[in-house]
Amino acid sequence: MTGMRYAAFMIAIAIGVALGLLYGWVVSPVELVDTAPSTLRIDFKADYVLMVAEAYNVNRDLDGAARKIGPLGGEPYETILTVQQFGASAGYDERDLLLLGSLGEALRDWVPGQELQATPTP
Amino acid sequence: MSERQPPWFLVTGLVIGLALGLVYAWVLSPVETIDTFPHSLRADFLDDQRVLIAQAFVATGDLGRAQARLALLQDPDPARTLAMLAQRLLAQGEDADDARALGLLSSALESGVVGPGLVPALSATLPPNTPSPEALATDTPTPEANDVTETPDGSPTERATRTITPTPSRTPTATVGAPFQLQDLALVCDPALSPAVVQVVVVDQTGNAVPGVEVLVTWEGGRDRFFTGLKPEFGLGYGDFAMADGVTYTVQLAEGGDPVPGLSTGGGCPPTDDGTTLLSSWLLNFRQP
Repeated sequence: MTGMRYAAFMIAIAIGVALGLLYGWVVSPVELVDTAPSTLRIDFKADYVLMVAEAYNVNRDLDGAARKIGPLGGEPYETILTVQQFGASAGYDERDLLLLGSLGEALRDWVPGQELQATPTP
Repeated sequence: MSERQPPWFLVTGLVIGLALGLVYAWVLSPVETIDTFPHSLRADFLDDQRVLIAQAFVATGDLGRAQARLALLQDPDPARTLAMLAQRLLAQGEDADDARALGLLSSALESGVVGPGLVPALSATLPPNTPSPEALATDTPTPEANDVTETPDGSPTERATRTITPTPSRTPTATVGAPFQLQDLALVCDPALSPAVVQVVVVDQTGNAVPGVEVLVTWEGGRDRFFTGLKPEFGLGYGDFAMADGVTYTVQLAEGGDPVPGLSTGGGCPPTDDGTTLLSSWLLNFRQP
């Protein structure tokens, strides 16, 4: 009889775990809200950086560009490199890749607040 | 004779099981938020994203791409959302250029076109020493500045999977011609306008409304500005400014032209039938000669 009780006890535990998972995964699954840009999927991150590069290509605001890339996590230059590699593998338009390259080159030697020294005069 | 005990051990087992499940889910293997979508971003990050989309649109004039990006944010009415954000940024004293970009994109979404004067000329000429990044160390030719740019017209995901159909980018043109000039100034006595407002409508040579025009408002001891196109429901070339009673304003377009002084709420509206004196609003029509 003790063996039966033990087996029933273990089965109850298993049922409890199953109920917990059922509730957590099916009945009330996690809804992601209030996320940060650093959690974005790589293609969305890449497009985010591309937007920054498009704007930078016109306004030449390197500090602003770096500040915008910051929430994606990591150093801006490293982020650019990652995005460039993704863009190349994902078949980004050549012009987009060049825009990313231009921003990446500018950010390579970028020092916060010294964008005039880091950006070559066109 | 012994009473039959309830199966408390089963209840205990269930509780232990639930506890184990929660410990696993919350401690041992908590949820990691990765690979999220833009629409799940926190509200302030969403606003940043909208501003960024607008800035990119102003830089490239690529409305299709801007629309694809906005679609990812799942705003039910993107144009209205952008216009409201623009007004909020202005009210908070944030960067007026951001507000202007938002207004321009909002207007473009409303009209469906990148009209004349909407955006600056696409100066997206890459610097002559544009490098090839390490990952792109290939001898790819640099596109000419005047080339029609082939850009993907789809979401980043679509680009990533190469299921996109490239479409030519629209190349916007700068506003050309003489500065806008005041065509007429009208006193508006409308009881519905409370508070009284300075209304500005800007059109180009052909009579098309021009959004994104900065309007300066000055008065003794203060100044402010607003843009046309931030209230697309009134027209893309429309903008207004709420007047305070007893203050005399001067209005001028930021890009030049003669200032229009002497605008106040006491402009001479006749009393209504019940003797109420209406506050005076003003309608200024600017046109490009």
